[in-house]
Amino acid sequence: MAAETQTLESPNTTAKGFALTSAFWMMIATFFGLLGATELVAPDLTENIGGIVFGRVRPTHVNLVLFGFVTPGLLSAAFYFIPRLLRTRLFSERLGVFTVVVWNIALVGAVATLAAGFTQGREYAELIWPIDIMVVAAFSLVFYNFIMTVKNRQEPILYVSVWYVLAGTILTACTFALGNVIWKPDSGALVGIHDAILLWFYGHNVFGLLLTPLSAAVAYYVIPRACRAPLYSHTLSLLGFWALIVVYTHIGTHHLLQVPVPTWLKVVAIVDSVAMVIPVMAFLINIWYTAKGRLGEIHADIGAKFVFTGTIMYFFVSIQGSLMALPDVQRVTHFNNWVVAHAHIGVLGFAGMIALGGLYYTIPKLSGKPLYSRFLADFQYWMVLIGMVGFTVVLTIAGLIQGNAWLNGETVYRVLPEIHVYYVVRAGLGLMIFSSAVLGFYNIVRSLFGKTGASS
Amino acid sequence: MKMTPLAVVVGSLLILATIVFVVVLLPYVNTSQTAPSDIFRQRAADEAAGRKLYIANGCVYCHSQSIRTIDWGLGAERIAQAGDYVADYPILLGSQRTGPDLSQDGGEHPDDWHVAHFTNPRYTRPLSIMPAFRFLGDDHMGNLIRYVQSLGMKDADRRMQRQRFWKTEAIKGYEAGPDANVQWLSEHIPQGWRDVPNPYPTSEAGLARGHKIYQDFCLGCHGPVGDGMGPAQPWIYPPPLNFTILKNREISGGILYYQIMNGITGTAMPYFKRELESEKIWDVGNYVAVNFINDSDANTEPKGIDAAYEP
Repeated sequence: MAAETQTLESPNTTAKGFALTSAFWMMIATFFGLLGATELVAPDLTENIGGIVFGRVRPTHVNLVLFGFVTPGLLSAAFYFIPRLLRTRLFSERLGVFTVVVWNIALVGAVATLAAGFTQGREYAELIWPIDIMVVAAFSLVFYNFIMTVKNRQEPILYVSVWYVLAGTILTACTFALGNVIWKPDSGALVGIHDAILLWFYGHNVFGLLLTPLSAAVAYYVIPRACRAPLYSHTLSLLGFWALIVVYTHIGTHHLLQVPVPTWLKVVAIVDSVAMVIPVMAFLINIWYTAKGRLGEIHADIGAKFVFTGTIMYFFVSIQGSLMALPDVQRVTHFNNWVVAHAHIGVLGFAGMIALGGLYYTIPKLSGKPLYSRFLADFQYWMVLIGMVGFTVVLTIAGLIQGNAWLNGETVYRVLPEIHVYYVVRAGLGLMIFSSAVLGFYNIVRSLFGKTGASS
Repeated sequence: MKMTPLAVVVGSLLILATIVFVVVLLPYVNTSQTAPSDIFRQRAADEAAGRKLYIANGCVYCHSQSIRTIDWGLGAERIAQAGDYVADYPILLGSQRTGPDLSQDGGEHPDDWHVAHFTNPRYTRPLSIMPAFRFLGDDHMGNLIRYVQSLGMKDADRRMQRQRFWKTEAIKGYEAGPDANVQWLSEHIPQGWRDVPNPYPTSEAGLARGHKIYQDFCLGCHGPVGDGMGPAQPWIYPPPLNFTILKNREISGGILYYQIMNGITGTAMPYFKRELESEKIWDVGNYVAVNFINDSDANTEPKGIDAAYEP
């Protein structure tokens, strides 16, 4: 990792493109989240506006967060560090820019089609066939660009971040095609119970084979560099990487424990969900021991601060996820806002925080000047952190109320007024997250295109 | 271990292929042999069109179609079986239950209740947070209702048959005029219930509780002053009962309790036995009797041993 000089002249256009993509779509994605949260509080506010009925807003929010904000943010960092880790140039900036364009067209298409009611109706696999093709093509192009960069490398040893990026992009291209039943363009679905099994195999792999590997790659790059320390253990890197791919891919059926699917498959899903502590702790111990005694350096770098916070959230969301796969726990937590809280710790607290960290760590290096405003970035950090922890608290409370009330025989309708106040707080916190995204976009645009970096 | 590009890429692809074989293809050996369940039937064309609208508007994000062994609410009489879903692509199990599970919703309500409910869910269910679906237009809303009324398949068909039979009877009763209608309604209540007065004395606290229940559950159809002119009224036929005409028509506390508990199949009046415990039903019945009928039999004879909690 000492070859910066060879690549300084790189234009980094692809990394900048993905950075802007991420910052822009974070605003749109969180706006849709805020809109949906508001509709749950005041359903008649948007009465009879078909394009933004709650059932169309929610999948738009989820897809934009996953594929508009978090994934491009992580890829932006990857497009910066992969050539540097390999002591070479990116194979093709033109291909990279083309990928960014395809990516953004797919996202615009996603918003338009979902608003118009074109959907495959399957969670995380809503996007219709033409957009599916674009997404698979985009992931394939990203992989191709990276693997060709690997081929041209001057550095013989592949660092752990490279493993994760290669595996994450190629495996996601495969599971996205599989999960969206891409060979059936009309429905994008299988028939009956098997559709649910395939859907949740894919759905969980959006986190297991896309967000987690890319986030791990960014953390493995940013933390040792920010700490100016070597990585704690190569063995733990190996264990974490292979265990992640083996274990994470088995657990999708833990979404279906209360559904008539084969029992042996449920057992596999539960056992492997608990076994998730192996890849999770291998990664976390490796990162945390690398940073041991050097938290001051992490605190000093806003990017590393985001990333390190993300690793802490990864600990919480993973332990919680393992517990939620236990049938006795799931009797209370299934079908209610507990799961929504869990999703927000995972995607915003872990992968989202690390994506933002990757952006703030690399953007000064991409632009060759300091961030436009360290203060704004810090402010965004606290808004996201408070908002996300707040989501977790209120939605977990709401979920416990719902789950226990239902077990106790109260009807869904009776429980609605009991969770109303938590929905109000959630919408308020959503406004905070959306505002932070607007600040972040402003900061990132000024940092990339401003004439000089002003420090504050 | 030396991590070459080949080891990383081919290794992870091989692992993925193996795992797809185990957790996606192997289960297919079980699930592909699923036989249709005893309630299964194919969907009619309008029901299938309604299902497309259900998907397009994301109903699945708030309504599950997956009854579990631990469920008590709507549809809990029948636990989901794999054979219920053999014609569903995509399957719509759902992952969140912001609204009730709809696996067995077919025939729970007559069609006119659904029209009012889709027009604005708060017309029939004041606490609902469901969006209004008037923007779909009449044709689409009609198809969506056909789909919802088919949920539960053969069980739903039986319930719909019941709804249609009693709808005809209820319309006959209503069109025969207020006297005959009230008599028709009361006739169908078991005599034991008709003879029972509200066993609890009228109290301020009880009326306040009744007021709250009325606002949360009844107001949409029967209206804030009990004249049957709530916001749902224009879509419902026979229209919601006007309580203010019931004075001197021998409406006992037991009659009110029975109708609230069981509902009136064929009319838009749902049953509330799942949603309201005994005290809440007595309280809201007495609230109606005192405020709208102006004739309460609360705490009159025959009554049993004095209640322990009374002041």
